[in-house]
Amino acid sequence: MLSTRELDRYKRQILLFGEEGQEKLKKAQIFIAGAGGLGSPISFYLAVAGVGTIIIVDKDVVELTNLNRQILHNDGDIGRTKTVSAEEKLTAINPDITIRAIDTTIDETNVKRLVGSSDGIVDAMDNFPTRYLLNETAVKKKIPLFHGAIRGLYGQATTIIPRTTPCLRCIFPNAPPREVFPVVGVTPGFIGMIQATEVLKYLLHDGRLLTNRLFLWDGLEAHADEIIVERNPACPVCGKGKTETTVRKNK
Amino acid sequence: MSVKIQFFARFRELLGTDIIVEEGKNQTLAALVKSTAQKNREGYDAIFDGQGKFHEFVILMRNGKRIDLSDAQKTPVVNGDDIAVFPPVAGG
Repeated sequence: MLSTRELDRYKRQILLFGEEGQEKLKKAQIFIAGAGGLGSPISFYLAVAGVGTIIIVDKDVVELTNLNRQILHNDGDIGRTKTVSAEEKLTAINPDITIRAIDTTIDETNVKRLVGSSDGIVDAMDNFPTRYLLNETAVKKKIPLFHGAIRGLYGQATTIIPRTTPCLRCIFPNAPPREVFPVVGVTPGFIGMIQATEVLKYLLHDGRLLTNRLFLWDGLEAHADEIIVERNPACPVCGKGKTETTVRKNK
Repeated sequence: MSVKIQFFARFRELLGTDIIVEEGKNQTLAALVKSTAQKNREGYDAIFDGQGKFHEFVILMRNGKRIDLSDAQKTPVVNGDDIAVFPPVAGG
């Protein structure tokens, strides 16, 4: 049940989703991998929208060079862990939800446990190896992965529903090389908002998800493109052979 | 024959976009992208390695369909084709 206070807090969006929709958000648990450029705006907006439990994971300490884009953190946070800073900010903007900020590196030994019984994984990472790990976890747990990535004024996003849509490996079989990527805050802000909107739509069972489509944003041209993406039957993560093996094992 | 090549992101910065190529027949996808990219050295190097092979992260589309990099050499392009070439971005 929503409290009187919650009914007031979410009054303007209850006009959109109804109390029933707001209840769905309240019951939901979302895992956000990263409290940086993408993770900042995503966690902000999922928190104010009333997603009941937000788990946010990061391993880093706030640095001055982060502050042009990582809007969860401010000058006074330099030297503090991003998770402490994130928990403080997110709890302050919405004390009616639960924030679990975990200071650790996501790796193959802990990812399953960290994600736990979350309803979805938001990819707010800055590297492909960890993204692939999140993708495998999403496929194994059969929960969606909300992918986003940026560089400079370019961004991309897609919503992955395991066994229905292509997975991240189907779309990107090989990672681009690692680099110190140029970035201005507006780009993760923009792409993060697409991801956060997708999370809300998924939880509310509303609208048409960004599935089977890769959204490509070119901020320099103020132009968006969309590319149809398909499952790769030979995908090492979600391909046919893989699924059959899993099914056989389960039997 | 007229084919449209769209480059995205970094490739677009270096090579431009919505390039209409008027070429003779019997071109392959790989050859067409290569000859188009050759107008800018940095653009070429962003897409191809020292042996003239696509960097493995490059994504190729023909008329909205993904083409495996290993198939690009044997995929013909025909009049009216829409080709897209882009790099995934990795930052967050």
